[in-house]
Amino acid sequence: MIQKHWWKGLAVLILLYVFIVGMRTPLAQGITSSSPTILNSGSIVELSVEGYNTYFTQGENNAFLKIDSSHAICATDIKVLNDNQLKLTFALPTTLPTADANMPATLVVNNTVKGFAIYPDAASIKATPVEDSTSNANWESCDNPLITENSEYDFPFRNVLMETIRNTYFHVPLWFSMIFIFLASMINSIKYLRNDFDIQYDIKSKALIEIGVLYGILGTITGGIWAQFTWGAFWSFDIKQNMTAITLLIYLAYFVLRSSFDDEQQKARLAAIYNIFAFASIIPLLFVIPRMYDSLHPGNGGNPAFGGEDLDNTMRTVFYPAIIGFTLLGFWIGNVLTRVNKIRQELIDRM
Amino acid sequence: MLSEIWFLLRKDITLELRQKYAISGILLYVLSTVFVVYLVFVQLNPRVWNAMFWIIILFASVNAVTKSFMQESGYRALYYYSIANPIAVIISKIIYNTLLLSFLTLLTFGFLSLITENPVKDMQLFIVTMLLGSVGLAITLTFISSIAVKANNSATLMAILSFPVVIPILITLIKLSAVSLRLIRDTSYGQDIVSLLAIDLILISVAFILFPFVWKD
Repeated sequence: MIQKHWWKGLAVLILLYVFIVGMRTPLAQGITSSSPTILNSGSIVELSVEGYNTYFTQGENNAFLKIDSSHAICATDIKVLNDNQLKLTFALPTTLPTADANMPATLVVNNTVKGFAIYPDAASIKATPVEDSTSNANWESCDNPLITENSEYDFPFRNVLMETIRNTYFHVPLWFSMIFIFLASMINSIKYLRNDFDIQYDIKSKALIEIGVLYGILGTITGGIWAQFTWGAFWSFDIKQNMTAITLLIYLAYFVLRSSFDDEQQKARLAAIYNIFAFASIIPLLFVIPRMYDSLHPGNGGNPAFGGEDLDNTMRTVFYPAIIGFTLLGFWIGNVLTRVNKIRQELIDRM
Repeated sequence: MLSEIWFLLRKDITLELRQKYAISGILLYVLSTVFVVYLVFVQLNPRVWNAMFWIIILFASVNAVTKSFMQESGYRALYYYSIANPIAVIISKIIYNTLLLSFLTLLTFGFLSLITENPVKDMQLFIVTMLLGSVGLAITLTFISSIAVKANNSATLMAILSFPVVIPILITLIKLSAVSLRLIRDTSYGQDIVSLLAIDLILISVAFILFPFVWKD
């Protein structure tokens, strides 16, 4: 029995792991705010910095403002108010290293016990532009500031996402699993057409499409809730959201098609044909068209989010098992649904 | 096989020119929709012109292609097509529908720009868009209508099945025509044209493989 059903137990174990680790792992250090945001060069400024999941009272802290990879100034004084708040004092040089009138600066705060936190575009530094940028020396005074690598197991902190980054384990794997399930359904449709119209394959492909549509709806709901918190609205006019809605429409039309025919064989045959056609047509929908347009989704308007840089390694340890777990679970539910429908079919045939 | 296709195509065109069933339907549909649009807007700014143009094309195409399959009534069709290769049938139908839809799009464009102002700045690109659109819509709609015509309430089924599948083609077409109307500035529209051709290729190859199964009925 174990040999036949091992993958079902594996699915449950993987999903338990994903839920527990995905929800319980803390986030890394992060900075949520820093004020004031407009700084004038040549002045001494005091930034009030607030952190998230930070432990400033432990260990030593140091901070620096960075303009680019070779220009930074260190904080001259650091006052720790509590675990989450700091006051940093910076002495800004009188000129900027470039000829721009203002430059965005990134704030980096490092803690020797817990690691470093980066706050991009923390402030905008204004200066009168100068032709002569030889006074760079002041911007290169903070050489090799201390950065502590933190080797704890935690999830990256991104300013807009914060805790919602955990949704990556539910929203994205649901879509990947949906595509795998639709692929399996299409393979079953092909088998139906090639194996002399054996009705078993038709029952299986219908069950798998039902599961796929369910996953698609869940993926849309999780995506919408995520969008509500990060992008501001449940349904922004995002190309990927629209494309997935159309995909769901195509597969719901599959069910309408099935219900328009009374004859079993005719229904099964035309449904199988439409299934293959539908899968062929969603390939451009989901993969080609989103790349062509700018989008709020990460990884669109250019390259897909599959590169090595796009996912933190700690997140990958939960992400890839999540895809496998959801796919296996989908196949398990499809399996049960197929068996129920087969029995129903037998009962009808016997009457 | 080529002679079969040519024969079937000629048969369809001759029948059509004799009875003028589909052409008159299209003519009426296009003229009335364009006229209603004119009455509502009188002056169309280019953005609205773009939207109206593609809406009229979409609905008129669905109508036109449905009509062309419906007139295949039972016994005569059975006789013809028991002696012909199914792939020849589908190719001839697709070519016939492409011609029909190109006629339709050119007619819509001509009539719409006669009644309202013609906002097209890049005529070359627009004509390419219209022709590619006719080909893409013809392939999709021909295949879907061959499935839908077997059901009882085929007109509604045709609409439900075809609209989602047609949307990726339509989005690319709208983008290309927006470029040719200078609504958006996009110098890399070559990529869009290539992707349209790619979508057409995928759909037509799937239609080739699947049509013989539809035909076995």
